[in-house]
Amino acid sequence: MKKVNEIMDRREFITAGGLVGAGAAVAGLAIVKDRSGSEAVDPTGDNTVRKLSAVTNLKPQANEDDHVRMQRELERAMAKPVEKRKWIMVIDTRRCVGCQACTIGCIAENKLPPGVVYRPVIQKELGEYPNVALHFLPRPCMQCEKPSCVPVCPVKATWKRPDGVVVVDYDKCIGCRYCLNACPYSARTSDFGRDYTIAEATGARDVKGAPIYGAPAPWEGLPSNEYGKSWDRKNHGSPVGNARKCHFCLHRLEKGILPACVTTCIGRATYFGDSRDPDSLVTELITKNNVQTLLPHWDNKPNCYYIV
Amino acid sequence: MVKEEVMTKTKKKVTIDKSRRSFLAGGALLGAGLAVASASDTDANQKQQSSIINSSRPDKLYDLLDASNQINTVCLQCNTGCGIKAKLQDGVIVKIDGNPYNPWTMLPQLPFKTPLENAAAIEGSICPKGQSGLQSAYDPYRIRKVLKRAGKRGESKWQSISFEQAIKEIVEGGKLFATIPGEENRNVEGLNQIAAVRDAKLMKILSTDAKAILEEKDKERKKALVEEFKLKHASELDKMIDPNHPDLGPRNNQIVVAWGRLKGGRSNLYTRFADSMGTINAHGHTTVCQGSLYFTCKAISEQYVDGKFSGGAKFYWQADTENSKFVFFVGANLFEGNYGPPNRSVRLTKNLVNGETKIAVADPRFSKLAAKAWKWLPIKPGTDAALASAMIAWIIDNKRYDEKFLANANKAAATATGETSWTNATWLVEVKDGKPGKLVRAADIGLIQPETRKTKDGKEYQEKFMVAMVQGVPTVVDPNDTKTPVMGDLFVDTKLPDGTHVKSGLQIVLESSKQKTLKEWAEIAGVKESDIIDVAKELTSHGKRAAVDIHRGPAQHTNGFYNVLGWMTINMLLGNYDAKGGMAKATTYDVMGAKSKLFELGNNPGKMGAFGISSIRHGVDYEKTTLFNGYPAKRNWYPLSSDIYEEIIPSIGDAYPYPVKALFLYMGAPTYSLPAGQTNIKILCDLEKLPLFVCSDIIVGTTSMYADYIFPDLSFLERWEFQGSHPSMTCKVQPVRQPAMAPIPENCKVFDTEMPIAFESMLLGIAEKMNLKGFGADAFGPGLDLKHYDDFYIRAVANLGFGEKPDGSDGVPDAVEKEMDAFIGARRSLPKTVFDPDRWKKIAGEKVWPKVVYVLNRGGRFEDHDKAYKGSRLAHPYGKLLNMYQEKTAGTIHSGTGKRNAGHSQYIPIMDFHGKEPTELRKGHDLVLITHRSIVHTKSRTITNQWLHPLMPENHVLINPLDAKKFNLTDGQKVKVVSATNPSGDWDLGAGATKPMVGLLKFTQTMRPGVISFALGFGHWATGATDISVDGVTIRGDSKRATGIHANAAMWIDPALKNTCMLDPVGGSVSFYDTHVKLVPTS
Repeated sequence: MKKVNEIMDRREFITAGGLVGAGAAVAGLAIVKDRSGSEAVDPTGDNTVRKLSAVTNLKPQANEDDHVRMQRELERAMAKPVEKRKWIMVIDTRRCVGCQACTIGCIAENKLPPGVVYRPVIQKELGEYPNVALHFLPRPCMQCEKPSCVPVCPVKATWKRPDGVVVVDYDKCIGCRYCLNACPYSARTSDFGRDYTIAEATGARDVKGAPIYGAPAPWEGLPSNEYGKSWDRKNHGSPVGNARKCHFCLHRLEKGILPACVTTCIGRATYFGDSRDPDSLVTELITKNNVQTLLPHWDNKPNCYYIV
Repeated sequence: MVKEEVMTKTKKKVTIDKSRRSFLAGGALLGAGLAVASASDTDANQKQQSSIINSSRPDKLYDLLDASNQINTVCLQCNTGCGIKAKLQDGVIVKIDGNPYNPWTMLPQLPFKTPLENAAAIEGSICPKGQSGLQSAYDPYRIRKVLKRAGKRGESKWQSISFEQAIKEIVEGGKLFATIPGEENRNVEGLNQIAAVRDAKLMKILSTDAKAILEEKDKERKKALVEEFKLKHASELDKMIDPNHPDLGPRNNQIVVAWGRLKGGRSNLYTRFADSMGTINAHGHTTVCQGSLYFTCKAISEQYVDGKFSGGAKFYWQADTENSKFVFFVGANLFEGNYGPPNRSVRLTKNLVNGETKIAVADPRFSKLAAKAWKWLPIKPGTDAALASAMIAWIIDNKRYDEKFLANANKAAATATGETSWTNATWLVEVKDGKPGKLVRAADIGLIQPETRKTKDGKEYQEKFMVAMVQGVPTVVDPNDTKTPVMGDLFVDTKLPDGTHVKSGLQIVLESSKQKTLKEWAEIAGVKESDIIDVAKELTSHGKRAAVDIHRGPAQHTNGFYNVLGWMTINMLLGNYDAKGGMAKATTYDVMGAKSKLFELGNNPGKMGAFGISSIRHGVDYEKTTLFNGYPAKRNWYPLSSDIYEEIIPSIGDAYPYPVKALFLYMGAPTYSLPAGQTNIKILCDLEKLPLFVCSDIIVGTTSMYADYIFPDLSFLERWEFQGSHPSMTCKVQPVRQPAMAPIPENCKVFDTEMPIAFESMLLGIAEKMNLKGFGADAFGPGLDLKHYDDFYIRAVANLGFGEKPDGSDGVPDAVEKEMDAFIGARRSLPKTVFDPDRWKKIAGEKVWPKVVYVLNRGGRFEDHDKAYKGSRLAHPYGKLLNMYQEKTAGTIHSGTGKRNAGHSQYIPIMDFHGKEPTELRKGHDLVLITHRSIVHTKSRTITNQWLHPLMPENHVLINPLDAKKFNLTDGQKVKVVSATNPSGDWDLGAGATKPMVGLLKFTQTMRPGVISFALGFGHWATGATDISVDGVTIRGDSKRATGIHANAAMWIDPALKNTCMLDPVGGSVSFYDTHVKLVPTS
C-alpha cells in the first residue's frame, strides 16, 4: 500500500528523532491476559464535567504567560462534558528552540522506559555555510480525525475518544504492533520492558553496607499514572509489551493542568486547548496564522497544527 | 473543591508517613524501602467512577498537583539555577517542573502572594537537563560513606571508613597510608600541625608587620623590615611559611580550600571555615567559566572613593532581554547555556516572532540562537576586540553614540539628565610618550588647591579631583558630587598650559579603534565589512533599548579582558546602562542579616584574620612583594582578578609562591573542566607536591578520584543553598535551595548532633576536632550555636523572610495554617536529621517561623514582575561610575613581560605568558579548536542522567565539509585530536591509565571553515564511567558514561608556564578557544 518514497520519508523521520528503538524487531513480551475484542464505551456527560479553579481563582496579570492563559481555558473546557470538547495542539516552530524539554517532560511524566518516546524533536540543518538554517520539529501524536492506527487493532484496544484523543487500553493490547506500522507519523513505539539503571553500579549491590549506593534508581520502580490509572511495570505488567503513544496527558487534563510537553516548553512554542472554544488561544492561532499539518496527503486529518 | 482535597490528603499522608520514615532509616538501600511503602498508598479516588477510560482497572487519579506532594526548590544541573518544583510520589522525586513563583520559569511569574494551593497546580518550564535532575540525585553510583584511598592516587582503589576516623586522620595526620606500597613511611601533616597560628592576637601582630613590608616601596628599607620582622618575631618564625619572606604569611596558608560550583550559604560556611583556620587561601573556579567577563566588569565598576579607585564588584551586565529591541549576542548561546535557557528563551522567542525584537549573533559556530537571528557573523575565535574596534570606530565616525550620556562627568550630571550611571569618558588622561597613563588631577595642574577630606575610616587625605574639558576649559570634576553637574567635552587631545599632553578617555578609545581601518578589522575578525556596518547601525537605531550581550565567547581567550572591555565600551557608547531594554545587573535579597540585624550570620568570633600572599597570587602587585625578582616572574600575578582556577593546582606544582600541604576541593572537577586539565592530574598524583588532598563529592568524579579522602555530599535536591541571581534578571530575588528528598549518604554525629554526612558536616567535624571557635557553641555570638547546618540555613531563611529593615516592615506575610500543613505534609519523607519542624521553629524563633514557612513554600523570595521597572528605567540600577578609561588597570604591570597593561579597549593578538604569539605551536595544526554547550549537558556532572543519554548518545567533532575535503576526512570517521602540546592526543590519567581523544567526525555547515568544535560533557573517565574498587569489591562502570570525546587535553599548555593552559594575564580567564589542532584519522 505504501509508496516507496513515503516509506523512506518515515524512516528518515525515525532516524532524525534518534530515539526510536523499535526497528524491525519482533515483540516477544506481549502477555495475553484477558483481552476482549469488544468496543470501548467512553465515559460521557455529567460524569466527565470537572470543576477546577486553581487558575480561574487567580486575578489575571498584565501580559499573562501563555501557559497560564491556556490553563484558564483548560479549566473552562473541563467544565463542559467530554463530548463538547475538542483538543488540538498547535506548535509554533518559529518559537521552538530545539531544547527537547518536551521530550523529557513527557518521558518523566509518563515514566517511559528506554526506547519508548511520545514526543521527539527532530532537528534538521539546511543550507550551505554561511547561509545556514536549523529547523526544529516536535512530533507528538497527531490525534488524527481518521487515525490509521485504530482500524488495524485486532482487539479494539485503541480508539478515538469523544474529545479527539486516540487512546490505548494497555490491558487489552496484545502487543501485535500493527498500529505501529499503520501510523504514518511513527507516533507509536513499543514497550520492550527495558530499564534505565538495572545495569549500573553492578558489583556493589550484594555487598552488605557497601559504600556505593548500587540499587536501581527508585524513580524507575514506581507506577505511572497514564489514563488516570496505576500502571506498575513490575513482573512485566502492562504497559510492558504494549504499544504506547501520546495521549495529550489526559490524566493531567482531568486535574486541570496542560500536557507536560506544553508546560515544559521553555520557548512557549507548544499550545494546547479546546478548538470548540472560540475564545481559546489555539483557535486564535490556527485561524490567524499560516498553519500546516504533517503529511496532509495521507488524509489522516491531524489535530496537531504547525505554524511555520 | 481542590482545597479540601489538599487538606484531607495532607492529613492522611502525614499518618502514613511515620512507618515509612522508620523503614527508610533502617534500610541499607533506599530503593527497597520504597517498593513496600507504595503498596499501602492506594488512593481514595479509586471509588470514583472511571473518568478517562472505562476498563476493569480501577482509577488512580493524579495527585502530583497537591501542594503536599511538592517542594519548591532550585535546580543546579547547571548554574542557571532555575526555580523547580520537585514532585514526590511515595517519598521519591519522580518529576521536576518549574516553580511558578520563580521568574526563571514563568513570565511574568505568579505574584509572590499567590496562595500555595493555586501555585501547586501551575507549572513553570525548565529544560530537559533540569527535569532530569532527579537522576543526579538517585544515581546508583553515589557514595554513602567516606572513602579513603587504598591504592596510588588515581588508581581507583578505595576503602570505606567511618566519618570519625576520617576527621581524626585529617586533623591529626600521621602515617595515614602506611598500607599502600611506597607510602609505608610517609608522614602526612594534619591540619593541626599545618595551621600553626591559632591565636588571633598573634595573627594580628604578624599581619601588621608583614603588611608594612609589603607596603614599603624602598628596596633597601624593605630588606631591613624583613630583618626587623625576624628579630622581633624570632620565637614565632617556625609558624611562618618562610621567615625570609614574611609577606607570604603563616603556615596556615599552606591549607588551600578550593571549589567548583559553590553557591550562597555553603559559600559562607566555607569562607567561615577558611577564616577560622587562618588561611587566606579560599579560591573558586570563576576563570574556567567566564572570569575575564567578571573581572573586566569589576575594573569598569571601580569607584573613586577617598581619593582612590576601589570597591569594584565581581559581577557583570547582561541585556534586559525582555525589553530590548535589538541585541547583538557575542559568544553567547543562551538557548543552550550561559545562564539562559528557560529564563531568557521565554523573554525572547515571543518578541522575535512578533517582530518586537531583532537579534544578531557573532559566533564561529551557527548556534541554535543564531538560527533565530537576523544576522550571523561567523567571527574568527579570539578576534572580538577587532570586531568591537570596528564598530566603535563606525559608531563614533557616524556620530551615533549617546552624546548626552557620555558627556556626563559626574553623578550630578547623570541625575540632571535622567540617568543613574555615568562614565569617565570625558575625564582627562595624561599622555606620556604617546601612552595614556594616570588621570589628570585638578590639584596637580594648579586648577585648585587640594582639599583636605576624611576617608570613611576617619583618616585625613588630600583630595585632588579629576579634570574634564568643558567647552575647551579645564574644569574640576568631583566624580560623586551630587550638586554641580559637569558635562565635559567628548573628544579632547591637547596640551595643558603646563605642557602636559592630555586626552579624554573617549579620545583614547577612538584612537585605539582607529589603529586599523574598518576593512582591516573585518579581515582580522573574518567577517564582512557590510555586516559590521549593518549591525552597528541597528545597534544605534533603538536608543537605549539595544545592547551587546556577551558571555564566554569573548572572555575565554588570552586577550579576554580587552575583548570584554571592547564590547562593554560599545554599551557605554549606547548609553544603555540601567535603561529598560539595556544593560542590567542582578539584585538579590540579603540572607546574612547584615541589614536587618535579625541574625547576623557574618559574625565569627573565631575569625583568625588571615594574611599573606595568596597561593594563586591574586589581589596583590608582584612588584610590592619580597618575591619580586624582575620579569618574567615565575608565574603570573593577578592584581585585578581572583578565583583563578587554572592556577590553584599548577601553582602547587611549582610551589610558587610557596608549597601547599593540604588541598580541600568542593564540587569541582578541574582536571576535566580546565583546558589542558591533564596538567592538574600529574600534580595531584604527586605526593611530595601535595601531601594531603580531600574532596567533597557526591560520586567518585573525574577529579575526586585523585583524592586521599572523599566525603560523600548531598546532591542539590537534598541540600540547602541560596542560588542568587543573574544579570539579565531584572527583579529582586533570592531563590532558596532546600532539602526535597531523604538524604542518600549515611548519618554522622558532630557536636553531639546527628546529621547526614555532607559538605557541611565535614566542615563542622573538622572544626569540632580542631576546636575552631567559628563553629559549635556561640558561633554567631552568645547563645547562637552552629552545631547542625540548619542552625545557619534556617536563620538565613528567617533573615530573608524578615526582610532587610530592622523593624521588619518589609517582611513576607506569615504562612496561614493551610500552608503550614502543606509544608509539613510535603516533607513527610524527610528524616528528622534533615527536617524537624520543632527544631527548625526553635532556631528561627516563634515569631519569624511562619515567615520561614512562607518563603520555603515558595522556593525563595521574589519581587513581583511589575516592580522591576520604573517607566523606561530599571528599578534596581547599577547607579555608579563606569570606567571607560581605567586608571587602576593602567597602573598594573604584566608580570610575564614587564609591560604596563592598557587601561582602555584595544585589540591584542593571542599570546602566551611571555607575550609571544604562538606561531610555533600553530605550525602544522590548521584547525582552531573551540567548544560549545548542548542544552543536554553541563560540563562535568550530567552524564549520570539516564534520560539525557538517548537525546545525545555521544558528542562529535564538528567540522565544515570544506575543511574535511582539504584534509581528506570523511563523515562519521573516527579522528584523534592532536596539538603541539599534546602530540599523542591522549589524556594521561595518572596511575598508568590513558584515554585517547578520539571522536566521531560530523560534517556540518554550521561550523566556520578552519574551526572545529565539540560539545562539552562527554568523554568521562570517572563519574561512574569506569570500574572502581571499594573494600575489595569491583563496582563496574557504565560504558555509556565514557562515550564521546573530551578534547580539553589537546588545548595548549602555556609554553612559558609549562604546567597549565594558556591564560589571560589580566582578567585571569583560561584560553578555551585559541588552540590550533590537527585531526588524525584512526579509522
